[in-house]
Amino acid sequence: MSSRVWVTGLGLVTPLGTGVEATWSRLVRGDRAIGPLRLFDASAQRVGIAAEVEGVPTPGPGWSRSALMASSAAEEAMRGAGVDVHALRVGLVVGGTTGGMFETEQLLARLHAEPSCRETLAAMLSHPLTATGDRLDEKLGPFARIRTLSSACSSGANALVVAAGWLLAGELDAVVAGGADGLCRLTLSGFNALAAIDAEPCRPFDRRRRGTSLGEGAGFLVLEREETAKARGATPIVELAGWAVGSEAHHITNPAPDGVTIASLIVRAVDRAGLTAADVDYVDAHGTGTPLNDSTEAAAIARALGPEAARVPVSSSKAQIGHALGAAGAIEAGIAALVVQRRTLVPTASLDEPDPALPLVHVAHAGRKVPRVRAAVSNAFGFGGMDTVLVFADATRTSGGVSTPASADLPVVTAASIYGPCGLLGTEACAEVVERRWDRESPVDPDAYLDPARSRRLDRAAALASVAVREALAGAKASPDDTGLVLGSAYGNVDGSAAFMHRIFEKGPRSASPVEFPNLVPSSPVGHVSIYLGLRGPAFATADLATSGESAVAQAVQLVRAGEASRVVAGAVEPKSDIVDRILAALFAHAPSQTGAVRSDLAAAVVVESAAEAARRGARPVARIAQSIEWRGAAGGLQVVDAPRGARPEVILSRGNGGSGAMLDASAWAGAPRHVCSEAVGESDGLGAVAMAVGVGRIATGRATGVLVLGLERGRGYAFVLVPAE
Amino acid sequence: MDAAPLRAELKRLIVSELHLKGRTPESIEDDAPLFGGGLGLDSLDALQLAMSIEEKLGVRIPEGDEARAIFRSVRTIADHVAKVRAG
Repeated sequence: MSSRVWVTGLGLVTPLGTGVEATWSRLVRGDRAIGPLRLFDASAQRVGIAAEVEGVPTPGPGWSRSALMASSAAEEAMRGAGVDVHALRVGLVVGGTTGGMFETEQLLARLHAEPSCRETLAAMLSHPLTATGDRLDEKLGPFARIRTLSSACSSGANALVVAAGWLLAGELDAVVAGGADGLCRLTLSGFNALAAIDAEPCRPFDRRRRGTSLGEGAGFLVLEREETAKARGATPIVELAGWAVGSEAHHITNPAPDGVTIASLIVRAVDRAGLTAADVDYVDAHGTGTPLNDSTEAAAIARALGPEAARVPVSSSKAQIGHALGAAGAIEAGIAALVVQRRTLVPTASLDEPDPALPLVHVAHAGRKVPRVRAAVSNAFGFGGMDTVLVFADATRTSGGVSTPASADLPVVTAASIYGPCGLLGTEACAEVVERRWDRESPVDPDAYLDPARSRRLDRAAALASVAVREALAGAKASPDDTGLVLGSAYGNVDGSAAFMHRIFEKGPRSASPVEFPNLVPSSPVGHVSIYLGLRGPAFATADLATSGESAVAQAVQLVRAGEASRVVAGAVEPKSDIVDRILAALFAHAPSQTGAVRSDLAAAVVVESAAEAARRGARPVARIAQSIEWRGAAGGLQVVDAPRGARPEVILSRGNGGSGAMLDASAWAGAPRHVCSEAVGESDGLGAVAMAVGVGRIATGRATGVLVLGLERGRGYAFVLVPAE
Repeated sequence: MDAAPLRAELKRLIVSELHLKGRTPESIEDDAPLFGGGLGLDSLDALQLAMSIEEKLGVRIPEGDEARAIFRSVRTIADHVAKVRAG
């Protein structure tokens, strides 16, 4: 069966202008918005130029510059599409990397001067990555489902892939998806430390190119299935016709120079759209302007398109708007969509001296009308080698369409693992975790499990996660090669970011560490694990405050269900954090009961795969996922959870908070014994993955005949029902 | 200035700044190639090392092809540092 995903709305905030038309007219003209930075003092930076968005107001409480740009773009997209959140099940996917880092930096500067200032500490967690989604929910929602994800500079493109999966599985009617990232000192210092910024405004594909230019902005698209859109009389801008996501498993900052992964993703994405290279009339390149990206990407495009590469024009808008990091994939997807709809190519505006070593057909200086653009490829690549390719097609095409998943069945689980104060546990041992109270201070030493030569770049989160994920994969006897990875983390590397910024406050931006910088990206543990273990499937991080672990499990289930990967490891990692502990102590200074839970070093993972894939490779599932439900708002979702079957049902709770007791008492699972993970192993924002692993273990060992895994946190909830695999 | 203590200091810097777990500074040969084969360092390590040498030893490593020659071995780095310090 095949279906089509339509883009029915688009919103852009870029350094060229706020709004689609403001950006588009200047884009086609070849205007460039890269110049000396004014947002903050960049005079001590190696390079102090960037592309800044004009006219962003000063953020109010809880808002960040990133969230304001996101709100503007998402609002424009929703207005254009005419979607009503009260009439349809509308989801929201937000990709990003910096979130509220610009605002957090100001707090870190104050903390640097006054380390124990309670007001500053209390404000420190006001801008987690999830805040953008939460502000959009308040302003433009309520949304039926919200996902915050990060895969570094492919975040915005992956947001669209996640949205398309939800739509094809029929889980939602429309999804607002995109990315937003604001400029900040941390990223400018970091990219300067990597010597990745050109002293001149960036010159993609030029023989003189010396690096990229940073930018900022937001791009959001409204996606719907063709039949849903038609039913409400909506018209398409363009069709999101194909996509492919994969990991290079090569290096944390450098692309694999052969471009083989990228080339195979372009081929897969075009094929998924029901098209061939002969149908592609434009490539919107990632085109950062770094010597290595552009040569790698050019080789990949040439390899993927074959002889057609001599015909297909390629350009990079980064010469005009800079590299908007987590927003870039969504902004440029929007630009590629407009190229198809308006039959107008956009240029590489800076291209005076094309690099003769790059086998590409360019659009130099200014855009131009062309007779037709049947399909456009849009590339986005992120740190850690997380690559995403999107294909947009003329919405009036009569053939093709993406294939929908063959089966609506939920996946099985083939192994689980937990690593923390309880030691390193495989599937069956996970069952026992909730039968004891573990010593939170037990040493957790991941180096004991890792190859010293290959693990030297892994920070603590990446090391903990690598140990847990490897144990789960070994338990499942699964090859890492065709496996995806989704890891949840609420706040990312808070201690690392603080230490990085403290050095900059102390010694200036030229002392920023190039090795530490890539470890500050929210998806850094995902990238490191993918490289260390050789995982080459779709990979990204999710964040959802204290239910970040649950969000990763839910997303992995959706990826497998949508056919995006046949196997995904879902997990979470949250190392102990000195700063988070100090923040919580400051926040709850007058409510000691809330600090009762001691935070632990924890990582957990479950291997989720389609039943067909497990059968194909002769693996024995240890549990089956019978239901995977997530909800927003206080109403709760347990009314749609099936009643337990079998003699020994159990409920595994991440923690005993958020009215879970009352919610369970009113549900069909009221009589089932309850186990609370936080009481056994300590507090962590990744507890949802621990709870899932415990549930899998209890089914695998026959302790329970059915398990409800439940995680709740401030207006968001997740529930998974696990049953024996049969 | 005797170059041996400088080379020893550079080796300690390489091991600690590049997190060469399980290696001792003494196990690095003065003339062993640092990049490609040898210690298996890459371009990201080169950037980190250049930053650390500037910060800890006060000597700037130039960028590009010049850096490649300087970073060949511990001895070539020490020679560069000594030369810059000698003015």
